[in-house]
Amino acid sequence: MKIDLEKVAQLARLKIEPEKREMFERQLQSIVEMVEKLPQMEEAYVGVDPAHPMQLREDTVRPSLRREAILANAPQTQAGCVVVPKTVE
Amino acid sequence: MELYEFSAVELSRMLRARECSSAELTRSVLERIEKVEKRVRAYLTVDREGALAAAERADERFAAGETLPPLSGIPIGVKDNICTRGMRTTCASKMLDNFVPPYNATVIERLQSAGAVVTGKLNLDEFAMGSSCENSHFQKTANPHDLTRVPGGSSGGSAAALAAGEAILTLGSDTGGSIRQPAAYCGIVGLKPTYGAVSRYGLVAFASSLDQIGPMARTVEDAALLFSAIRGADSRDATCAAREYAPLSLSSDVRGMRIGVPEEYYGDGVEAAVKAAVHAQLQELEKAGAKLIPIRLPSTPYALSAYYIISSAEASSNLARYDGVRYGFRSERVENLEDVYLNTRSEGFGDECKRRIMLGTFVLSSGYYDAYYKRAKLLQQRIAAEFTEAFKSCDAIVTPTAPDTAFPFGAHSDDPLKMYASDICTVTVNIAGLPAVSIPCGKDAHGLPIGMQIIGGKFTEEKILSLAKACEEMAGGFNRLPALD
Repeated sequence: MKIDLEKVAQLARLKIEPEKREMFERQLQSIVEMVEKLPQMEEAYVGVDPAHPMQLREDTVRPSLRREAILANAPQTQAGCVVVPKTVE
Repeated sequence: MELYEFSAVELSRMLRARECSSAELTRSVLERIEKVEKRVRAYLTVDREGALAAAERADERFAAGETLPPLSGIPIGVKDNICTRGMRTTCASKMLDNFVPPYNATVIERLQSAGAVVTGKLNLDEFAMGSSCENSHFQKTANPHDLTRVPGGSSGGSAAALAAGEAILTLGSDTGGSIRQPAAYCGIVGLKPTYGAVSRYGLVAFASSLDQIGPMARTVEDAALLFSAIRGADSRDATCAAREYAPLSLSSDVRGMRIGVPEEYYGDGVEAAVKAAVHAQLQELEKAGAKLIPIRLPSTPYALSAYYIISSAEASSNLARYDGVRYGFRSERVENLEDVYLNTRSEGFGDECKRRIMLGTFVLSSGYYDAYYKRAKLLQQRIAAEFTEAFKSCDAIVTPTAPDTAFPFGAHSDDPLKMYASDICTVTVNIAGLPAVSIPCGKDAHGLPIGMQIIGGKFTEEKILSLAKACEEMAGGFNRLPALD
C-alpha cells in the first residue's frame, strides 16, 4: 500500500517541512509494510470481556474545577473566555 | 549504607522504629539527586520544597504516634505524564512545556493520602512514545549501569532514578512495554498491572485501551507495596474495574507451580545472552519444585503489527486535542484559526509523535479502516483467547522482557522499525490486558542488566509477584545500586 503523505498530514493537521518529507515518506512506508502483515480473519468481533464488565458512575451533579483554574493554562484569554483568531467574516 | 539505598519496606520499618525521620530520608534522596543528576538526567522537575514539607508533615504524624499507611514519609518520583496539581506536567513535549495541571491524577491523590513524599517528575519519551527516552523534547536520560547507553523507555526516567538512588519508588506507565522494558534495561522491578486495576484518571492519554499506570521499585515487595496503594476502583475512570482487592501476600514457595514457556518468545530476534539468562532462571525454578510447561502462543508474530495499528489509531485521536486553543503551546505564526491548529501541532510535536499520529490517521481513514484497524482488533481478540487457553495449563508465563540489553545513544534513531522491535516481547500483554512484571535476571558480557518477564492471567498480580519474589531470593536480592562514576 502506497501512503499519500500529503493527504494524511492534512487530515492530521500537520505540516511536514519539505526537508523532512522524504524521511517521513520512507519511514511511514516501511511502518505500513510492517503492520500490513496480518492474517485474514473471519471470526466475529466481540469487543467486551463479559468476565470483567465496566461500570458507569451515577450521573449526578458534583463540584468541578473553577473557571480561573482552567483558564490559567490557556495561551490567550479575555473576559473569562479563550481567545483565538477571528473565525467569521 | 546511605538512606537512599534502602528499600521502601525497610525504610517503612525504620521510620516507625525512629531509626530515621522522613526529613532525613528525603534530604538523603535530594542530596543524591544533586550529586548524580547532571550525569543521569532522570528528572524534569525536582520539587525540593514540596518534598521537604511533605516529609515534615509525615514526621509530625509519626511523632504524634499515629498509625500511618506504609508509604508515609517515603520519597516517590512520578513519570511526567501523570497530572500533579500545581506541578508542571510536560509529557516531555514542547506541546505541554508550560502546562500546570489544575487537578491531581487519582494515583497522586492516593499517594498523598497515604502520606508519601513526591520528589518530582521524571523524564519519558514524548507522550510515552518510544523505547529509549531519546524522544524527550528536553533531555536524554542515561542508564546508570552505563552512562553512554539509554535507560529504555518510555518510563526511562522512572527506571534510571531508581537505579541511581534518586528515588525510593517511582510510578511509570505502560502502553506496550514502557514500564517493563526500562525496568529490564536498568536492572530494577517494574509491574504493568492488569488493565483496569489502576485508575487512569489524570494519566495523559496515549492509547486509552492499552495504557496502565504501574509501580517501579528496586525490590519485588516494594513494587507490591506501591501497587497496593494505587490500585482500586475509581468512578472517574469507567474502564477501572469495580472490584474489591484482598491485601497482597507474597509467597516465594514455587513447589507445584506450573510455568508456561512459549517458544515464540525465544526466537532468533532475541540475543543469545538474554535467552541463556532466562533459561538459567527457569532451570533454577524447576530445581525449586516448579514445573516447566511448553506452550504455544501462535499469533505472537503478528502482535507488533496489531499493537502499532491500535495504539497509533488511538493516539491520533487522543492527540487531536493539542490544537493550541485551550492549554499548552500555541504557535506564534497565526493569521487564522487553521494556522493555530496547523502551526501549533507542526511546531509542538516531535517527529515520533508525528509518525504515530499519521500512521493512526492513515489506518482509520476512509477506505483503509477494514484492512488495518478492524483486522488488528480481531487479532487482539485472537491473542487474548490464546492467552486464556494457555492459562488453562499453567499458572504464569515466563519470557524475556526485551530481546536485548540497553543500547548506546543513537543506535536506533534513524530506524523506527528497529526501535519498535524492542517491544516485541511486551506488547502482547497490553493487547490482552494482562498483568506482567519484569525482574532482573543476570547480566550480559558488557555488565548490562537482563530482564525476565512473568505474565499472569487477569488480576493475578499476587501470583506473578510471588514468583518474582522467589527469583529475587534465589538471586540473593535485587536491591543493588550500580557504582556511578
